[in-house]
Amino acid sequence: MRTYKNDEIIDAVVIGTGAGGAPLLARLAKAGLKVVALEAGKNWSPKIDFATDEREQNKLFWNFERLSGGGDPIGFGKNNSGIGVGGSTLHYTAYTPRPQPHSFKLYSYFGVGNNWPIGYTDLEPYFEELEQFLGISGPSPYPWGPARKKGYPLPPLPLNGPAQLMQRGCNKMGIKTSPAANAALSADYFQEQIGWRKACTNRGFCQAGCSTGAKASMDVTYIPYAIYYGAEVRAECMATAFEKNSEGKITGVVYKKYGNEERQLCRNVFICAGAIETPRLLLMNNLANSSGQVGKNFLAHVGLQVWGEFDENVRPYKGIPGGLISEDMVLPTDVNFSSGYLIQSIGVMPVTYATQLARAGKIWGEELRKKMRSFNQVAGINMHGECLSSEKNYLELSDEEDEMGLPKPRILFTAGDNEKKMSDHGEKVMRQIWKEAGAKNLLSYHRKAHTLGTCRMGNNREEAVVNKDGNSYDVPNLFICDGSVFATSLSVNPALTIMALSLRTADLFLQKKQTGAHS
Amino acid sequence: MDYKYPEGSIVALLNTDLVTDITKKVLIERGQEKDYQPLFFTLPDFECLTVVCDCLMAQNSNNRMVTMAHAIDTRLNCKTGNGWRYNNMPPDDEMYREGLKGINKTANLLYNKKFIDLPKNHQLEVLGAVQKGLGDGFEWDQLQQQQFFEEMLAEVTEVFFSHPLVQDEMGYAGMADAKGWEKIRLNEREEREPIGIKIETRN
Repeated sequence: MRTYKNDEIIDAVVIGTGAGGAPLLARLAKAGLKVVALEAGKNWSPKIDFATDEREQNKLFWNFERLSGGGDPIGFGKNNSGIGVGGSTLHYTAYTPRPQPHSFKLYSYFGVGNNWPIGYTDLEPYFEELEQFLGISGPSPYPWGPARKKGYPLPPLPLNGPAQLMQRGCNKMGIKTSPAANAALSADYFQEQIGWRKACTNRGFCQAGCSTGAKASMDVTYIPYAIYYGAEVRAECMATAFEKNSEGKITGVVYKKYGNEERQLCRNVFICAGAIETPRLLLMNNLANSSGQVGKNFLAHVGLQVWGEFDENVRPYKGIPGGLISEDMVLPTDVNFSSGYLIQSIGVMPVTYATQLARAGKIWGEELRKKMRSFNQVAGINMHGECLSSEKNYLELSDEEDEMGLPKPRILFTAGDNEKKMSDHGEKVMRQIWKEAGAKNLLSYHRKAHTLGTCRMGNNREEAVVNKDGNSYDVPNLFICDGSVFATSLSVNPALTIMALSLRTADLFLQKKQTGAHS
Repeated sequence: MDYKYPEGSIVALLNTDLVTDITKKVLIERGQEKDYQPLFFTLPDFECLTVVCDCLMAQNSNNRMVTMAHAIDTRLNCKTGNGWRYNNMPPDDEMYREGLKGINKTANLLYNKKFIDLPKNHQLEVLGAVQKGLGDGFEWDQLQQQQFFEEMLAEVTEVFFSHPLVQDEMGYAGMADAKGWEKIRLNEREEREPIGIKIETRN
């Protein structure tokens, strides 16, 4: 790996190596720029370091404490926040559906939420590029959304027990289903500058780290690609502050490495630390916040899960967890809420399931032991729905310090009327699917998924933190690219959209750099 | 419904090449109960927590499979967490200390004894009251007892169900994936996956 000295003025520092940081790091490096990525977590060797054990794999989660409040406090850590080279893609389930066009124009469609300053067509070429580069497995043609120029490069992954059961229930109800698009390889796949990645072995442990490299997390795709083209990735380096010149431009990024403070000089900064750490870093430094919008509009998807026990042996730990999808409810008619949701089958690992029985089911003692002896009979369905922005939902800095001596973030979240109605609708549909499929002992787990929206993009500098190019309105050489720039939550799993934004942010930056608008 | 799996079938897999080296290391180490002296809790608190954990996981205190209090004590001593806590709750170390005080107070007000000196049915009654937010004692004015119960239960659950002996009881073979899985559809089984016998129960 090429390395750079701290006092060399490099073209860009990228903070974070997940879905927001890694693709743009690769794009900038390939264009010949001198780039360094700072990653707070470790650089793992998955084959050696990743055990098929949930508790051991807690090392993949952002475990610095956050305070969670409001009417519906959100669980962080393993629910939605990663750390390590690859960021949250180390533990994402690899769901990669495309958002549908109306989701970007929520206000125009429904008169609620916002419109994005960009639309589906701005991201479409990037969706296609990502699907081809990462080797996404999925059905072609895809049954929902606009027609596509190219199909997925690989056929869908095989259906596991939960997927078959959801298919059975949905067939009886007339709900259309399809094998889902997943960023895990259904066959060996060759990747430029990386080589052959081997097909998925159906380990089912995507959420606790893929040890085979079949899942397209950033550490096995864009990170090695970026390093090939000359990027440096500095693990265990936590960005904490910035140096600025008299024009208000950032000239250096201060970071902590093994307790010592260091500083990398640079011409540009891309913050890609996710929708909690990005606003926390900006608020700590009173940066890029003339709009007062940093930390505001926190969004978390409606993510209710319904579990059922079946007479059939499911053994839900095998196969890609999210094998089957239905997007029939993404734009539903005759409902009492705006926007919509998709539903996905879910396989599960035992500790995750047990913890849900404990928290949501309030089950313990002999009853919990008995329920867990039926673990091999269990299957789940999950909904994934739009969350509207609200003034009640935001992030602020608390007075408490974390292990790094930095202020802990406090996140307040209360589900709104629209989310509640959507969740009720989804729960009813999913419980019916499970009953039709033959499930007993249903359990609903009210969950919120993903962290989004705290540095949103927009056309108006008084209402947004970044413009449609991801460029800060206040600091000309600062860019933000991760889930925080989402103007609406979109009713799909966000990783593919974050990666598409990442490539687009890099391309627009490079275009403007050529014209001299960026240095 | 309830299921019974042949005892030892999962534990027997751990020493085979069906389990990757790192997984083997983690699970075999975890399966070995060691002598342990508490580093964070006082001895009386540690003993109390140990019995509370037994109740939460319906474990016989005279023939324990897992001592969950070890893992909790070690974690609190290292000051590591799980990435979040409820905004209205104190830090985890304080939560456990105050929560155990509350459990003992509720036990005392009900039966004039310490929690660990109560018979099992009374211990379950005390914990049930705390779970429902009905535990008596001024300690609970300072600590939201239902959330304390939920947080403690979630941690104990994670420790307990990641233990190989408990996974053996569940017939969970997921760790034996070094060669991947081919038979993943409904009712399909690979040889190394144990067969459970269904036991009819009333519910």
